[in-house]
Amino acid sequence: MSLDSYRLDREPAYYPSADEIALYEAAYQMRLPVMLKGPTGCGKTRFVEHMAWKLGKPLITVACHEDMTASDFVGRYLLGPDGTYWQDGPLTRAVREGGICYLDEIVEARQDTTVIIHALTDDRRILPLEKKGELVHAHPDFQLVISYNPGYQSVLKDLKESTKQRFCALDFDYPAAPIEAGIVASEAGLNRQDAERLIKIAGKSRNLRGKGLDEGASTRMLIHAGRLMAAGLPIAEACQFALITPITDDPEIRSTLRAAVDACL
Amino acid sequence: MPVFDRTLPEDLSPALRRAFVGPDRDAFVQARDRLNGAGYGAGIGRAFTSAAPRVAAHAGPDEAIALAGDASRLAIKARPRVAAAYLDLCPVIALKLDDATRFRQWRGVIGRVLAQSPAAAGVLVAGGQTLLDRLGLDPFAAWVETGLRLSGGENRLALAYFRLETPESRRILARHAGDVTFPALESGLKAFYTALWGHAPALREAGTEAAQGPVRRTTFSNGLILMPSAFAGFRGQEAQLYRAAIAHVGAHHAHGGARFPVGQLKPMQIAVISLIEDARVETLAMRDMPGLLRLWAPFHTARPDGLATAQALFAGLARGLIDPDFCPAHGWVRKGVEMFQAAAPRLEDPAISREIGNILGNDLGQVRVQFDPLSYVVQPAYRDDNLGLWDLPDDPESAAAPQSFDIDTADARQSELTDAPQDQKHEQTSPDQIEPVRLMAADPEAGRKLISLPEYDYHAGIERDDWVQVTAHDPVPGAPGFWEALRARHDTTITRLQTVIAASQAGTRRRLKRQAEGEALDLDAALDAAIAVRANRQPDPNVYARIQPPARSIAVHLILDISQSTADSAGPGLSILDMERDAAGILAGTMCGLGDDLAMSAFSSCGRHDVRVIPVKAFGAPLTEATGAALAGLRPAYSTRIGAALRFAADSLEQLSRHRRFVLLVTDGAPSDIDVSDPEYLVADARRAVQRMRARGIDALCVSLGQDEGQRQTEIFGRKSCLRISDVATLPGKLSAFYLRMTR
Repeated sequence: MSLDSYRLDREPAYYPSADEIALYEAAYQMRLPVMLKGPTGCGKTRFVEHMAWKLGKPLITVACHEDMTASDFVGRYLLGPDGTYWQDGPLTRAVREGGICYLDEIVEARQDTTVIIHALTDDRRILPLEKKGELVHAHPDFQLVISYNPGYQSVLKDLKESTKQRFCALDFDYPAAPIEAGIVASEAGLNRQDAERLIKIAGKSRNLRGKGLDEGASTRMLIHAGRLMAAGLPIAEACQFALITPITDDPEIRSTLRAAVDACL
Repeated sequence: MPVFDRTLPEDLSPALRRAFVGPDRDAFVQARDRLNGAGYGAGIGRAFTSAAPRVAAHAGPDEAIALAGDASRLAIKARPRVAAAYLDLCPVIALKLDDATRFRQWRGVIGRVLAQSPAAAGVLVAGGQTLLDRLGLDPFAAWVETGLRLSGGENRLALAYFRLETPESRRILARHAGDVTFPALESGLKAFYTALWGHAPALREAGTEAAQGPVRRTTFSNGLILMPSAFAGFRGQEAQLYRAAIAHVGAHHAHGGARFPVGQLKPMQIAVISLIEDARVETLAMRDMPGLLRLWAPFHTARPDGLATAQALFAGLARGLIDPDFCPAHGWVRKGVEMFQAAAPRLEDPAISREIGNILGNDLGQVRVQFDPLSYVVQPAYRDDNLGLWDLPDDPESAAAPQSFDIDTADARQSELTDAPQDQKHEQTSPDQIEPVRLMAADPEAGRKLISLPEYDYHAGIERDDWVQVTAHDPVPGAPGFWEALRARHDTTITRLQTVIAASQAGTRRRLKRQAEGEALDLDAALDAAIAVRANRQPDPNVYARIQPPARSIAVHLILDISQSTADSAGPGLSILDMERDAAGILAGTMCGLGDDLAMSAFSSCGRHDVRVIPVKAFGAPLTEATGAALAGLRPAYSTRIGAALRFAADSLEQLSRHRRFVLLVTDGAPSDIDVSDPEYLVADARRAVQRMRARGIDALCVSLGQDEGQRQTEIFGRKSCLRISDVATLPGKLSAFYLRMTR
């Protein structure tokens, strides 16, 4: 079974903020595992997609969640018409056939399941399939990338120290205002001036990070708002629809955000 | 010798004859004659004769006749002058309420105040109409009730409250009146400021420390922003006004420069320079956030053709500087606007405020426009009082002059209601005289202030924030060897409990079958699944089994009532407290055996300002010799404010994540305290505390000791959550058994 369906056939647009592309390329050259840190919606996933396209490697993405178990990563025995058979999990497939495995929001998975990547992320580069009694040696092209958002829930959920120390890490944040305005303008098909107004509004919401909001408005949200504006919605309504209402359920913070948006217009 | 009106019933005026018919007429004449003969002065009788028919028309003759008794009591306990004022007020109130029952209720309120604090009754009569207009009858009664409770029967405190001299009384009034006040908006304002300016402000309510009359404008200095408790006269616009005010302060912080030196400037120049500076920082802020104009502009209500008074000119200039569509008629305002526009390229430079302000101030001085710094108040209402802009001298003497800026008068739109009580002659009350009521001398080794808790007033139907002060007192170690002695005293109980714990399910591991994940295959489930597969049915994927670790997850805060009544005898040589102590010791041992988390505190209270808590054992702390000594050292004292103790314990549990959390109270009687005379009050408060904590997922259980009569615990906690132990000697055994039953 090949991983061809996991290859990206078009270039995902990515606007570098610094030298992250060069850093990533160096890490891939040495097949070092990479950790991407940063708030939600700032472009981590897009970056991995872009790099996978650039390096011409298949990308297997796993969105982690709290019910995730080791079997969901490595695979499990299933019952078929002729008895049990083994089904490789996404991680095992990437390890066997040589792809980039991207574990998105890794802290969401239970801590005891994340230790299975330990043997993959040091110089052994092996994945033991305990239930199957097999030891999979990683394909030379295999690389593991994880993302995690240290901002929210970090008190309750954090990576084990032993996991953290296996990775090179790239710090992501929302791009600087001019770059972000460019991203929003081109992704949403918006004029530059409106994009800049959206960036200013986003700045106000990001001021409330940790002071009423878990996260400020992400670049992704701004692109959504921008697309709504391109579709003809006035900016205030687009912000209400795409930024304010999704970002919080607290009526007081909502009303504050509305007032802040209003002040910017 | 005054000539009293001694007309016979048949010679009464037509109005009186219409109002009082049959026996009522005789009753009226009798009442009037009694009043006239009592020697309060002729005015009282005349006032009664005048008031009675009008009151009778709206509240019935009985109420009208009853006024004579009221007037008499007021004249005796307060002053005849107050009685006369009361009689003048009554027809107005009767007309307003237009209902005998409601009028009687209002009279009852005045009567209660008179009984507790005669001087305060005078204040209430003088301001009664405006207060009633603002509040309505029921909130008015509740506000008065709060005041009586707050002052605890002390005249000085009652006077300060009813004259609205304390920030607390103003705040309570605003809350009863349904105004939106600063505390309700505070967190939103902080967030708004943070969103706009990128850092969190140090924001406080003004006037909570000093009692110098209401603060009407925002003020800021040294990074601290003080906002008024309420802006009078802006009902319905409060949120916008506060937002406008905080955004204005933010503009000062973001675009303001160093403080201006006062130097030789006259108050009028200071006012004009401040005004220009306000406009300068606002204009800069609006360059970045144009929408701020929509926030600020609605409060600029100056008209282009206003009077040429300083106040009106300033308001016009303020509007002209930020509102591009405003066309002022007055040349001075036009000149100001033109100079400001001419300085636009240098807007970042605070010096332009001084330059323009100096020139405009001089102009105004030359045309002899009167400016009274004492009555000047910055307009519009969202702007700050400008004190933060000036480098004021430190010494209090010279600071007095610019300080006068802060003394404002009501602006035209403000309702008179809020200001009326201030207009009355004040008695000399320095702020430190308005100390919270302290009915008993506090312990010289007073405890640490721990927390302020709310309390519920069932009369007013409100929860008053920060009403009860909880102090922590370090435990006084008692005799050593508590645990050995306990073991000796209750050997059989402890042994029996240990057997119960060992036999109970607590702490065992359980095997869970048909799980989605697990260490082993659940054979039954696997077979079922295999059969389903062969029968071409969808198999159930839950084919694993696993072992579940012990699931007991309980935290308890045990609170022991150590009020004076626990000193009562519970048997030969033993007090109730001795029994509580032993029971607590045994329960702690039981819980240790079960692996449950326990905190123990003892509490007593001496009025709302002194609820004492002695922490005997904290969560997570081991059960040691020191715990025993702390238990042994508990001594009975003071009263029982159960609601406060429950809230305190619930707060401590809030931070723990356990499946079950509860507060277990051991008490020997109904709640009571020295500053509360109404027996229902603390019961209602405790019931409220229980409801509130249950809503937060913290349960409340109670073990009450002693006989049935006078016990209110089932009302507070509910029948199921209560255990009554009439034979106190059996408490140690029963408490643990009760605990085991409730946590099964």
